[in-house]
Amino acid sequence: MPAFVSSRLFWIGALTVIVALVLPTYVSGYVLGLLTVAYYTAVFAMSWDLLFGFAGEVNFGPTFLIGVGAYTAGILDAHYSPGLSIWICIAAGALAAVVGGVILALPALRVSGPYFGLTTLVAVLMLQNFIVVAAGLTGGEIGLAVPDVISIDAKTNYWIALGFMLVSGAILFGLSRSAIGLILQASGQDKIQAGALGFNVTKHKLAAFVVSAFFSGLAGALMVFYMGTASVSTFVDVGVGVQIIIAAVLGGRRTVIGAAIGAIFLIGMGELLRPLGELATLIVSVIALLVILFFPDGFLGIIRGGAKA
Amino acid sequence: MLFWQILIDGFAISALYALGATGFTLIFGVSGVLNLSHGAIMVGAAVAAWAAAGEFGTGPYMGALIGILAGLVLAFATYFIAVRPIQRSRAIAESEKEIFILTATLLWGIIIQEAIAYLFTNNAKTVLPIVEGVTTVFGVRTPRNEYFTAVICWVAIGLLWFLVNRTRRGKSVMAASMNPRGVTLLGIELSSIYLTVWAIYGLLAGVAGILLGMFLGVSSYSVGPLTASAFSIVVLGGLGSVSGSLIAAYVVGYLETGTAYLISPAYRTIPALLLLVVVMYLRPQGLFGRR
Amino acid sequence: MFSLKSFLLASCATALISSSAWAADPIKIGVIAEAQAVAGSSIAPAAQLAAEEINAKGGVDGRKIEIVVYDNHSSSAESVRAFQRAVSEDKVNAVIASYISEVVLALEPWAGRLKTLMITPGAASDVITQNIAKNYDQLKYTFHGYLTSTSLAGLVCDAAKDLLVEPYKMKTAVIMSEDAAWTTPLDAGYEKCLPDIGVKVVDHIRMSPDTTDFTPIFNKIEALKPDVMITGISHVGTQPTVQWKSQQVPIPMFGISSQATNSTFWKDTNGAVEGVMFNAVSGPGVAVTPKTLPFVDAYQKKFGNIPSYAGYTSYDEVYMIADAIHRAGGTDPDKMVEAMEATDYVGTIGRVAFKPKGDPNPHALRTGKGYITGLMLQWQGGKQVNVWPKELAAGTVTWPSFIKLKAASN
Repeated sequence: MPAFVSSRLFWIGALTVIVALVLPTYVSGYVLGLLTVAYYTAVFAMSWDLLFGFAGEVNFGPTFLIGVGAYTAGILDAHYSPGLSIWICIAAGALAAVVGGVILALPALRVSGPYFGLTTLVAVLMLQNFIVVAAGLTGGEIGLAVPDVISIDAKTNYWIALGFMLVSGAILFGLSRSAIGLILQASGQDKIQAGALGFNVTKHKLAAFVVSAFFSGLAGALMVFYMGTASVSTFVDVGVGVQIIIAAVLGGRRTVIGAAIGAIFLIGMGELLRPLGELATLIVSVIALLVILFFPDGFLGIIRGGAKA
Repeated sequence: MLFWQILIDGFAISALYALGATGFTLIFGVSGVLNLSHGAIMVGAAVAAWAAAGEFGTGPYMGALIGILAGLVLAFATYFIAVRPIQRSRAIAESEKEIFILTATLLWGIIIQEAIAYLFTNNAKTVLPIVEGVTTVFGVRTPRNEYFTAVICWVAIGLLWFLVNRTRRGKSVMAASMNPRGVTLLGIELSSIYLTVWAIYGLLAGVAGILLGMFLGVSSYSVGPLTASAFSIVVLGGLGSVSGSLIAAYVVGYLETGTAYLISPAYRTIPALLLLVVVMYLRPQGLFGRR
Repeated sequence: MFSLKSFLLASCATALISSSAWAADPIKIGVIAEAQAVAGSSIAPAAQLAAEEINAKGGVDGRKIEIVVYDNHSSSAESVRAFQRAVSEDKVNAVIASYISEVVLALEPWAGRLKTLMITPGAASDVITQNIAKNYDQLKYTFHGYLTSTSLAGLVCDAAKDLLVEPYKMKTAVIMSEDAAWTTPLDAGYEKCLPDIGVKVVDHIRMSPDTTDFTPIFNKIEALKPDVMITGISHVGTQPTVQWKSQQVPIPMFGISSQATNSTFWKDTNGAVEGVMFNAVSGPGVAVTPKTLPFVDAYQKKFGNIPSYAGYTSYDEVYMIADAIHRAGGTDPDKMVEAMEATDYVGTIGRVAFKPKGDPNPHALRTGKGYITGLMLQWQGGKQVNVWPKELAAGTVTWPSFIKLKAASN
C-alpha cells in the first residue's frame, strides 16, 4: 500500500512538473509572473516544513531568515551596484541567512513549545524594528529600491524560479526522507526517547536550521531581484510568516511537497478571487480553516485518502 | 513632573495590558490553548461598540454593553469553530494538536479581521468615551478616561480573583488549571469548565477591547500587534500564571512608557523585546512560571 | 461601505451598457490603489467618474476609456504584481497609482522597465521626481500628479504666516511627523521655511506610523511650550487626533493631516477633529476652479460621500491622460510622455503643468501663483471650512475650548 501511495504521489508530481514545463508556451506573462512569486513562496514553505513540520515546534520566525537573506542581498546591490554582480549579492544573502539561522538556533533550541514560538516571533519583531530604525541603510518603512533585477522577461524569471523550486524541493524532500528527517520526526513526537536512542537531537536540529535558513535566504534574495524592491511588508512582516505557515499546514505537514502545493494554491486562489476585492483574503482564510478542520492532513492527505478508498 | 507623568500614564496602559493578558493566560492555564485570535476579538468588541454608539446612536453605555456582548459571542465562536473541533478530533494526533489550534485560531482571527475591514473599512476608530474631560493630579493633566480605564481594569481583575477564589465554580476552574484529570475524577464535566472559562475570557477581552477603543482607538491593523503583545506579556510572566501576567503587564507597560518619554517614542517597543529575549534565554519558563 | 457598494453597482452598470458603438480599441487606464484606506479609497471611483464623463461625450478620438481597478492592500509587493498584470495581461496604456510614496517608489522603476506612463494622484515624496532627474531616459514615464513634500511644506508655511503668525503672534513650533518616505523632505522643508516666517522650531518629533499611544508625544511637546504643532501625518490620523482632544492638549494642530481631508473623519474621531487645520488642494464648497464643485457634486451623487484629496487629482489625471493621448495622436508611450510634459490643464485643484526635464524635480507639479496654491481647511462643527487663502475662505479660524488663544488686537 505505501508503495502504491508513493507511486501515485510520484505520478501526480511528475504530471505537475510537466504542466509547469509546458506552461510558458500557453499562458500570458502575467500568469508566469504570478507563478514566479508562488514558486519562491513554495520554497519558503518547504524550508519551514523541513525544520518545524518535522521537529514539531511552532515557529513564527520563517520571515527572520527570509528577511535577513533578502535585505543583505538588496543592501549590497543598492550600495555597490553596478560594481557587484547580483549573483554575488544573492550568494551573500543566502550566507547571511545561514549565519542568522545559527544565531537564532542557539537560544531557540534551548526552549520548546510556546516559548520556542515566542522566541522566533521576537526575532522577527527585532529584525523589523532594526530595519525601521536603521533607515539610512535599509530604506526603513519606505522600503529599499534595488537598482538591478535579474531580468524583466517574464519567461526568464519563470524558468529561474521553477528550476530553483525543483532543485531545492528535491534536496529538502531528500533530506526529510533521510536519517535527519526521521530523527527530527522522532524528536518531535518524543524528545526524550529520541535522545535515549542515542541520537544527538540538538545537532540534527541545528543542521536542519542551517539548511532551512540557506534555502529561505536564497529564495528571499532571488525574490528581491525579481521584484526590484525589498520592503518589510513583503519579506519580514509577521503576516508573511503566517501565510507560509498556513501554506505548509494546508498542503499537508511533514510532506515538504505539500508545503509547495499549499503555497501555490494560496497565491493562485488569492489571484482568482481578486475580482471580489476585499473579500478575497476572507474567503481564502475560510477555505484554509475548513481544510484544516476537516482534512487535517491537508491536500496531500486528501489525495492519499482518495488512494486508500 | 516627568516622574509623575510616567507613573500615571504607565499605570493606565499597563492596566489595559494586564486585563487583555489575563483572559489569554487563563485559557492557556485551563485548556492549554494559545488563542491567536485574541487581538481580533478585542478589536471586534471595540468596533461593535463604536458602531452601536456612533452609527446607530445607542449612546456610550448601551454601545459598551453591545461591545461586551460581541466579545462574548466572538469568544464562544472561537471556541466552537476553531478550538473544540480540533480538541475532539481523532484524525489529529495529540502531539499535533497544539500547532493545529494555533493555525486555526490564527486563521479565525484573520477571518474576523477581514470581516471588520470589509464592513467598517480599515480606518482607525475610537469608541465614544463614557467619561470625558481632564483632571490635574500632581501637576499632570490627564484625561479622566485614563483613570476610568485603570479603575475598570482593576475592578474586572478583582472580580475575576473573587470568582476564582471565592466561588465553587471558580474553584473548580482553578483546580482544572492545575490538574484537568483530577477535576474529572471529582465528577465535574471538563467541557462545562471550558465553557465557563471561555465565557470569562470573552467578557475580559470585550471589556479590554472597548477600553482600548476609548483610550487609544483601534483599527483592523491593531489585530496582529494586540495578539503579539498579549502573547509576549503572558510568556514573560510565565504561561498560565495570572499573577505573573499582571506583573509582566506592568513591567512591559512601564518599560514602554519610560522609553517613549525618556528616550524617544520611535524606540518604544524595543527595550521590552530585548527584555523578552534575555528572559527567554536565562529563564525560559518566564518570570513566574512553574514548570 | 455604502459608497463601495454603490461603486460596485455603478461599475457593473457601465459594463452592461457598453456596446459595440465604439469605433476603435478602447484606451485602458489601470488604477492601482488602496481600496480600504481613507485617502486611497477615492482614487478608483473618481477615475471611473472621469472616464464615464469622457465616454459620454464620445471618448477620445472615438475611443472609449476603460478603467481597470486593482486593490493593492497598501502593499508595495502587491502593487508591483498589479502593475505587471496591468501592463502584460490587461494591456493598459497608462496607470494611475497609489497615494503612498513607498508604493510609487517601488513602481517607478517598473514604469521605466515596462515603458508605461504612470502618474500618482497622492504620493508626496520628492524622491520620486529626484529619481527622474538622475535617470531621465529610463524613468521619464513617471509623473507626479500631486504636490511634492517640499511644495507642501512651503504651502503650509505660507498659510501659517497669514493664519498664525500675523493674528496670534506665534513664535515657536514643534514639528510632529510620522516616519515615512514623504515626511523626510517635508520636515526638511518645514525646518527651512518656518524660520523664514519668524517661527522658531524648538523640537522635531518623528514617530513610528505604528504608534498607538500618543500620550508621551503630546506631553513631551507640551513641556516645550510651543505656540503650535506643525503636523506631517498620513498613515496615522484618528488616534493622534482623538488623543489630542481627550488629553486637551492646549496647542493647535496645523499642517498636513491627510486623513482629516476625508469627510468620514469627523465620525471616525467622534468629532475630536474639531479645530484641526490641515492643508488640502480642494475642499467642499470651495470653488478653486469652475470644475471643482461640479466634480464634488457628481461624486457625492454617485458614491454617497465626499472624495479624499487623492480623488480630485485622480479625476483630473484621467482627463490629463486622455488629453495627452489626443495630442500624441495615439498611445505610443514615448509620444505620450512628450504630450504629458506639455500639459497645461485647469483641473479641480488648479492649473496643472509639469516641471520640465533639467529641473531638479522634473515631472513635479508647478506650484505658487498662477498654478496650484492649495488651501487650509479647518474642521468646524462637523464640516470642513476653508479658512485660507482669503479670497477663497468661507469662514474664520476658531479654536476648540481647550485652546485659549486670542488674536492680537492689531
